[in-house]
Amino acid sequence: MTETTVVHSTFTIERDYSAPPARVFAAFANRATKQRWFAEGKGSEVLEFMMEFRVGGREFTRFRHTGSAEGGPPKGTEIRNDTTYQDIVPDRRIVFAYTMTIGDKRISASLATVELRVSGSGAHLIFTEQGAFFEGADGPKMREGGWRDLLLKLDEDLRKSA
Amino acid sequence: MLNNGPVDRVFHALAEPTRRAIVERLSAGPMSVSDLAQPFDMTLAAIVQHLQVLEQSGVIRTEKLGRVRTCRIDSGGLRLAERWIAERRSRWERRLDRLGEVLAEDDDQPQPTPPSKKRKRS
Repeated sequence: MTETTVVHSTFTIERDYSAPPARVFAAFANRATKQRWFAEGKGSEVLEFMMEFRVGGREFTRFRHTGSAEGGPPKGTEIRNDTTYQDIVPDRRIVFAYTMTIGDKRISASLATVELRVSGSGAHLIFTEQGAFFEGADGPKMREGGWRDLLLKLDEDLRKSA
Repeated sequence: MLNNGPVDRVFHALAEPTRRAIVERLSAGPMSVSDLAQPFDMTLAAIVQHLQVLEQSGVIRTEKLGRVRTCRIDSGGLRLAERWIAERRSRWERRLDRLGEVLAEDDDQPQPTPPSKKRKRS
């Protein structure tokens, strides 16, 4: 029996888009558009994507890694995302709870909040994830944590040498 | 402890201030060991040790020509570090970048835009 661990972590990612909040919101609300940026992309193949964009609605994504990264999940590993929408305020806010599963291992359960604000003629997006990351989530370290720690470490080192 | 092999070696090599300073100096171009060592307040032997760590990690290459050993950046090591960081960028970071691309792509498409508001002529 392997040891069980839970790491709780909150992280925020911000982006500015030239499209106004209504268009960014639509990219979350429209199934076809959402599939394009959420599920598709370099190095992954979408096996299934279904979405029910309403409070209480579910979203289910199944995709497969077509490339393998060192330390990441092996090529061909199936990844599943299971989402339930908790709150939707058109053009302003989307809150959803989701779990992620790699192969047959549940690696995290999180609450994610997307906030949209007007920024000039575009939109400012704030993504906040509050998550419980389980054992095994650490191996691929796909999320913020690994990256941030590393930069922090580099920064500390740079300060020391300054 | 995690063991990423080659990537560990690169970050270990770069985690030391003197070694980063060596890499910075070499980014200007290849240099002999003695030229490279000049600004550092340490023995040549200490510098050579640092160079060995950098070379073993694949961050630099050295080559002996006659009596002079020349050092240069080996892009392989740095690329490995770069790739490692890129791959660890969070899934959501990549997704939100992709969202930006999708929004921009749709901008280029002739899309059914809402009828443009006609300016009232005063």
